[in-house]
Amino acid sequence: MNKSKIDPRTKLLLILILSTLAIIYKQLLFLSLIFIISVLIALLMRSNLKSIVIKLKRLLGAIFAIALIQSFFIKAGTPIVKIGNLSLLTDFGIYKSIEFILRLGIIISSCSILTTSTSREIVQALVQLHIPYEIAFMVSIAIRFLPVFKDEMTDMIIAIQLRGIDLKKVKIKNKIRIYRYIFLPIVTNSLIKAKELSVAMEMRGFRAYPHRTSYNILLMSGLDYLIVSMSLVSVAMLIILI
Amino acid sequence: MEKYIELNNITYEYKNGIKVFEDFSLKINCEEFAFISGKNGSGKTTLTKLIMGILKPQKGNIHIFSKDIKNLSLGQIGQEIGYVFQFPERQLFTTSVIEELTFPLLFKGEDKKNVLRKAEELLDTFELEKLRNSYPHLLSYGEKRRLAIAAVLMNEPKYLILDEPTASLDDSRIVILSRTLDVLRSRNIGILVISHNKNFIGKHAQRIIILEGGRIIRDEQI
Repeated sequence: MNKSKIDPRTKLLLILILSTLAIIYKQLLFLSLIFIISVLIALLMRSNLKSIVIKLKRLLGAIFAIALIQSFFIKAGTPIVKIGNLSLLTDFGIYKSIEFILRLGIIISSCSILTTSTSREIVQALVQLHIPYEIAFMVSIAIRFLPVFKDEMTDMIIAIQLRGIDLKKVKIKNKIRIYRYIFLPIVTNSLIKAKELSVAMEMRGFRAYPHRTSYNILLMSGLDYLIVSMSLVSVAMLIILI
Repeated sequence: MEKYIELNNITYEYKNGIKVFEDFSLKINCEEFAFISGKNGSGKTTLTKLIMGILKPQKGNIHIFSKDIKNLSLGQIGQEIGYVFQFPERQLFTTSVIEELTFPLLFKGEDKKNVLRKAEELLDTFELEKLRNSYPHLLSYGEKRRLAIAAVLMNEPKYLILDEPTASLDDSRIVILSRTLDVLRSRNIGILVISHNKNFIGKHAQRIIILEGGRIIRDEQI
């Protein structure tokens, strides 16, 4: 399956279906099944899951930490680890934490499908789905500026360390203060950039006319219609059968 | 203690596979004013980032003042060498010029009176007294650059690296920057400057290093 052949609208529909199913179903078996399907679809669409997992390494760590903490706070179910009368870990707690991990796994793997389209294609898809161009453009700008913010953030963390502050040795309380110092210029720079960008856009006639025309028009192919209809039929069957 | 920065047989390749340096060696005397020039992509900024420990070489070792930087944290390197980024706004963090100068030392628990005295001195030296309460991000580019230099000097580094300090500055601002370099010379602080500005280089350089494709094609003492 060539990634360029699939219309971004089809991808958006797949993401919507998979993430909705992840929220609706609570049984681990179904969630595991949906997770496997979403990973398979992402791989078929040639999404670079490996690189996404590497990029989200820290977030994945946080997800596992949240799941673990959550499992300690759920008291329902049969206790597995107990200290006196206090149950620290129950089977239901573990069940809920696996459910949480699977849900986020489905959302991350399904959203990775969208990375196989360019930001321009995504904006065009949103426009052709009758979403106001201003909102679609905002999405595109947000995607476009993400790497810039990442670079700025990295430079600032390096710069603050080069000022003689050893982040690894700083206590958590002081670390919060340091991150306040880092976030402040990022917010300020974002506001300055947004202002400059809006002026530049106005000067180039953004929203000068009520209706816009597009040079590139997305066209759904037979493969898109096949994927859409198969997805809708599968979802309908799942809802009826389960 | 040896006042040198030494890069020995460095190989550095970016994650995208672009090899910038292969078996590259350089020795810099930290008491002199050295200038690095060269075309875009020749490895100038990468070289300074390697010296500062921001990038890690795949092969070879880097020593600053006889210490292997592998054993130093960014904070420790920053105490020894001040680094002024190409975009100074990326190293300004606070809501006032005076706080920008004082916050790292106060954060480390240094004596407030002493820190303020040092900051006042630098405000005066870098002609920033009138801007002491201004918001750093709303200063002009040249003022931001001067503030960034003053801020790194608060740590009293033994050496300073400036990445393209003359970029986006008009002639009058370059004159102010030249005065800044004269101040550094009077304080016996050596510098390594990346610059394309021939007049600026000609006025200050004691050594000129020209890079091309990750190799030194010219290295001369003036």
